[in-house]
Amino acid sequence: MSAEGATNGSAAGAAAPHVELRRVTKRYGAVTAITDLSLTVEKGSFTALLGPSGCGKSTLLRMIAGLEEITAGQCFIDNIDVTGTPPAKRRIAMVFQSYALYPHMTVRQNIAFSLSVAGQSKKVQNERALEVARILELEPYLDRRPAELSGGQRQRVAIGRALVRKPEVFLFDEPLSNLDAKLRVQMRVELAKLHAELGATMIYVTHDQTEAMTLADKIVVLDRGVISQVGSPLALYNAPLNKFVAAFIGSPGMNFLGVDITATNGRTASVILPGGRTAQIGVSAGASARSAELGVRPEHLTIVDPNDPQAAFAGKIAIIEHLGNSTILYVDTPAGQLIVEGEGDLDAKPGQAVGLRLSESHARLFGETGATL
Amino acid sequence: MTASVSAADLAAQPGARRLASLRRVDLAGLVVTLATLLGAVFWAFPLYWGLVTTFKPEYEVVRPGIALWPEHFTFANYGHVLLETKIGLWYVNSLITSGAVTLIVVVMAAGAGYAISQLDFPLRRFFWWMILASFMVPIPALIVNHFILMSQFRLINTLAGVVGPQLIAPVTVIIYKQFFDSVPKDFREAAVIDGASDFQLLFRIYLPMNWGITTALAIITFIGAWNLFLWPFLAVSSEDMMNITVGITQVHDAFGVQYARDLAVAMLAALPVALVYLIFQRRVTQAIMLSAGIKG
Repeated sequence: MSAEGATNGSAAGAAAPHVELRRVTKRYGAVTAITDLSLTVEKGSFTALLGPSGCGKSTLLRMIAGLEEITAGQCFIDNIDVTGTPPAKRRIAMVFQSYALYPHMTVRQNIAFSLSVAGQSKKVQNERALEVARILELEPYLDRRPAELSGGQRQRVAIGRALVRKPEVFLFDEPLSNLDAKLRVQMRVELAKLHAELGATMIYVTHDQTEAMTLADKIVVLDRGVISQVGSPLALYNAPLNKFVAAFIGSPGMNFLGVDITATNGRTASVILPGGRTAQIGVSAGASARSAELGVRPEHLTIVDPNDPQAAFAGKIAIIEHLGNSTILYVDTPAGQLIVEGEGDLDAKPGQAVGLRLSESHARLFGETGATL
Repeated sequence: MTASVSAADLAAQPGARRLASLRRVDLAGLVVTLATLLGAVFWAFPLYWGLVTTFKPEYEVVRPGIALWPEHFTFANYGHVLLETKIGLWYVNSLITSGAVTLIVVVMAAGAGYAISQLDFPLRRFFWWMILASFMVPIPALIVNHFILMSQFRLINTLAGVVGPQLIAPVTVIIYKQFFDSVPKDFREAAVIDGASDFQLLFRIYLPMNWGITTALAIITFIGAWNLFLWPFLAVSSEDMMNITVGITQVHDAFGVQYARDLAVAMLAALPVALVYLIFQRRVTQAIMLSAGIKG
């Protein structure tokens, strides 16, 4: 669970590090926001910093941007130590959650602002603004003010303002959270497209695991100022290193239930499930706990006949949610209420007695500390 | 006209129904309106009286009795003031000093407000408290100090001497500070990442984003500087350096006070301020509300 160990678990390791944080700590007075954190971001990658609010993900991004001082440790961009470098000289660009578009300037002026403060000629400013506007399909709006734009257009102007600087690294601080659900999906696709086109390094802060899963090729899960796990979206989903990551990734969330371990043979553990049935769950070598928490995702529980001999639990359906492509069931069992994801056309009724079959190969055991066994 | 028509007569007419509906009109509102109107008349009458007097020959002014309209309408008073006095120069002096005060106060206060609101420097709190404290000292209480200071700088009888003490404007700093405080910090950070310096931040982001406040403060500062009498009166004794407000006191001749002429020059002195007010009415009201809010 240490930051070092987590970094080693990084999925993509071949590309050169573009942004690197070395043993970074951030303290606000007596409060420590980030504790001894190390992280590398490869060139051209799309890295998401994911975690609940207050986990330090925005602080981390702002430290890379230079907006927050680093209490201890170093920050490298392109192998240059930028720990003490002012934000403007780090060759980064940042897109804010609020967009921070200057209300008194037109779209053109907003996009060209960085060129203007750098003293570039009006001609260059215009050309570059136009170039960026073309990429982002903002040409018709160049002479409008932010107040006259829709949320999605404002978002694009904010991205344009970053784009015009031709930065080494793009930093996004929850850029989509002010948009409505439909627009968010649309902008998500546009961001993915932009990343593919530019091939630039992007670091993206979000608390929305769907955004992180869909956009990023590497996700850094943060929990109370330390890295919980680093990995590709699927690695995090299928092989969480700890209960925190397992619980945070996936929607609806993973089910957790207390189990007793009766025997381990180095590769699997025999556990007694609430209700008396037994199951064989994979563990890593050397696991020797007596009790653990079993985690299973909703799609790894299947509704079967209550008398099915292979059913791990017997229970009663409490609530059904039909989502069209799937059905979410809340089933009351001896292990508490479990969430089950079934087929979209699943025929079931509240109050109905059912059995739940457990896909044992997909279940995980978590020890007392929360680490995966 | 209608007062002579009795209610009974009206009731007999077909318009009676309309009258009945009129009676249902909010009586309290009517009373308030009338009271306000009466107040306005009380307030405006001296202005009217002043204005109408300027068109009277002096002998008509000093004649006993109340004449609401001049018997002999004349522009002679204005003619005298415009041609025989240095009013043109006083106007220019007023314009220069008020303009300078406005410009310097706004730029300085915006800068100070920005620094105290946005920058982190040693003694920041101390300076803030100093500004708050200085705002609690009435300026006229310091007028002797100002005079001595200006005379030691050898600025008495100069336009710079008139301007100097008027640059103390803590309220303006306080208002700017408060408005800059409320600018979301994302704007600042976005501009910092874009490479903007503090001057660029102030003049390209913070000031334009608070343009309404700046114009309001500028107008109210200008009006204040234009109308100021006590300090320019003390600081200047040479007629060539006088403001229009001080210049009024010079419009007398060997025959003593000429009321119509004095009023004519007063009217001319007030004209620019009246115009500024009429044009920027909304902004002025806003500025007064702002400083009242701070003062309250």
